[in-house]
Amino acid sequence: MTDLQIHESYQRLLKNEDLSTPLAAILALTEMMKQSNAGTMFELLNELKGAAEALSKHSPNPIGLNAGCELFIEFITLFPHDAASFSELKTELIRQGQQYAEEALAYRTKIAELAFDFIKDDSVILTHSYSRVVLQTLLMAHKRKRISVFVTEARPRGMGIKTAEMLTTAGIPCTVVLDSAVAYAIEKVDFVLMGSEAVVESGGLVNAVGSNQIAIIAKAANKPFYALAESYKFHRMFPLSQYDLPSHNPGVLSFPQALSARTRPASSGLPSESSSSFSSNSSPIKISQEDIARNNPDVDYTRPDLISLVFSDVGSLTPEGVSQYLVGMFAG
Amino acid sequence: MRMPSLSAKPKNERKDERDRNNNEPRKLHRNNNSRVREYPALQDHPLPNRRAAASTSKDAPTNIRDGAGGPDGSSDSPKSRGLRIFSHFGLPKTPGHQIKGDIHPAIVKLGLQFSEFKICGANARCIATLTAFKTVIQDYVTPPHNTLSRHLMTHLSPQITHLVTARPMSVTMGNAIRQLKLEISGSDIDLPEQDAKDALCHKIDEYIRDRIIIADEVIEDLAVKKIKDGDVVLTYARSSLVEKILLRAHSLDKRFSVIVIDSRPLLEGKTLLHSLASTVPPLPCTYALLPALPSLIIDADIVLLGAHSLHANGSVYSRAGTAMVAMLAKEHSVPVMLCCETYKFSDTVMLDGFGKNELAPTKFSPEVPKSNSNLEALNPLYDSTPASCITAVVTEVGLIPPTSISSIPLALGRTTL
Repeated sequence: MTDLQIHESYQRLLKNEDLSTPLAAILALTEMMKQSNAGTMFELLNELKGAAEALSKHSPNPIGLNAGCELFIEFITLFPHDAASFSELKTELIRQGQQYAEEALAYRTKIAELAFDFIKDDSVILTHSYSRVVLQTLLMAHKRKRISVFVTEARPRGMGIKTAEMLTTAGIPCTVVLDSAVAYAIEKVDFVLMGSEAVVESGGLVNAVGSNQIAIIAKAANKPFYALAESYKFHRMFPLSQYDLPSHNPGVLSFPQALSARTRPASSGLPSESSSSFSSNSSPIKISQEDIARNNPDVDYTRPDLISLVFSDVGSLTPEGVSQYLVGMFAG
Repeated sequence: MRMPSLSAKPKNERKDERDRNNNEPRKLHRNNNSRVREYPALQDHPLPNRRAAASTSKDAPTNIRDGAGGPDGSSDSPKSRGLRIFSHFGLPKTPGHQIKGDIHPAIVKLGLQFSEFKICGANARCIATLTAFKTVIQDYVTPPHNTLSRHLMTHLSPQITHLVTARPMSVTMGNAIRQLKLEISGSDIDLPEQDAKDALCHKIDEYIRDRIIIADEVIEDLAVKKIKDGDVVLTYARSSLVEKILLRAHSLDKRFSVIVIDSRPLLEGKTLLHSLASTVPPLPCTYALLPALPSLIIDADIVLLGAHSLHANGSVYSRAGTAMVAMLAKEHSVPVMLCCETYKFSDTVMLDGFGKNELAPTKFSPEVPKSNSNLEALNPLYDSTPASCITAVVTEVGLIPPTSISSIPLALGRTTL
């Protein structure tokens, strides 16, 4: 299976609304295994690693996907080799992979049940962007408790509006707040529920951009910040800062140097002169939403000390608990 | 097969504790003898550290006695009040201390190197100790009517005591020796003596290779990935591991510069600076003393630190001054990476740098004016950095937060040597 094929199957799987990126990656890898003609475990693992690399290369934001690939490859490495022949073992591994993806879909219900106990009647909840697990939790809470929800708009993708539409359809009182109005709204909020793209080894969180600032605001306002994450999103990665994320590239937050060099005439020395010539000579520059989005990050990293609890299908964990779980799983 | 050796372990540990405490000078106050009661071994053995005792207060009658017989009481003014509340800090012995019992020449030599600070640093001391023990084991002959697995440890104990007398035992040495004891007590009785000794030496080699040398290489690989082009790396004093990481990053053609922060009394950063500056092409370095840190930390992109030991609550016991660097880095939101092998983990809890510490030998102390007898130099060698000031610990099993080190099975010694 070529790199392009696996990427295509991954994209096709992602069209399924219920599948998150790690699960889609796991299923894409099982599809690759089906077509693979590797004769030994070593070959198979090499192929899988190659495929995982190819997937992450083609994806602009590979964090969630990497978490899935990492989990699956780890699982295959540790799987007991007691099948009679390698082809049988491979079939078993494929079956296990698909079964895991199937079972994993039920994780959201489990998380919703865990988080449900933390939602008091008449709560006002702030959430960010669009997350299936948060949505499921809110819908479940709505059945038995009165809740109202603030959803951030979550520029640039504006996924918060999708959340708001779905919540309003379900009859939950819901208001979209601007990303810049979170600090204004936080006083009215009881706690923050945040989905996640990946939970990393420090116990921190990688999620749609804006999560970090919400966490900082929640911390400053002394509001609990709860993260919801299925255990397949636990990722063996330790970002030291925002710029240490694999999704970061030099283009993010870069200054348009080519533009400034063109607008500033080489002959004029004084900055005031150049700025006046800039305003009079050239046509006023328009900045479109796309221009802004191109220069901005998709995801950001939230430090563990800003997170109160992480709800996952393996239990409600403190950020330290997450890191201990991850260390125990991969470093053991 | 391991069961008996495992059950013997706590006893051995307690013995270690006692060995370590032997080195501590006696209590200042006569009424405060709770520690003496707690460690009856103190009364069994003659006080090994006369030098330290001489420098403590003369309130305690034992100190007067010991001080009179001390090898050099000359540097202490007769009116000296000692270090008062810091008197429990271990002080390295002067080279002239007497040798008690059957001490192997390799250990005597090592003891001198320890007390002279010729061999300094947790890794170096651990490797040197294990290498010396290999010689001791090879030269050892089991007396008649004894077995190696039962008798060798009684032969090694005075050697360990001798080393501890020279300088308090490091956590790394403690961990390695504990593992060695486990191996000795677990060695097969039916094995011919030479084979058993060879097997032990092989185990020691494996320990050095797996837990230190290979571990360092893995840590280098992991840490180098976090150094990016254009970064300014700040480090404090000299850690052999940090030095290796910086040299590796440099050899990989990463363009970065280094700020070496240093401090008295040991000024170990000079050694680091020398090795960094002698690379080809030279690595751009800045050297500054600790007081200059606040103005330099703002330029740093990442802080790399070494450790003496890492404790169960995530606090880090390292060269005095490390805590200040880590705290200031946290204050300026500079990520702090601590580089530390898992064998440096200690399952004790360290709350501050006061409970347990060590003093720098007097040769590193500044000259105290003789006229001012109330002035005493205090040079603790270590301090304790709280876990909250450390962003990540780079170990051979990956980058982990300092609080999670206790969940690594390898760190707890639940592994074969």
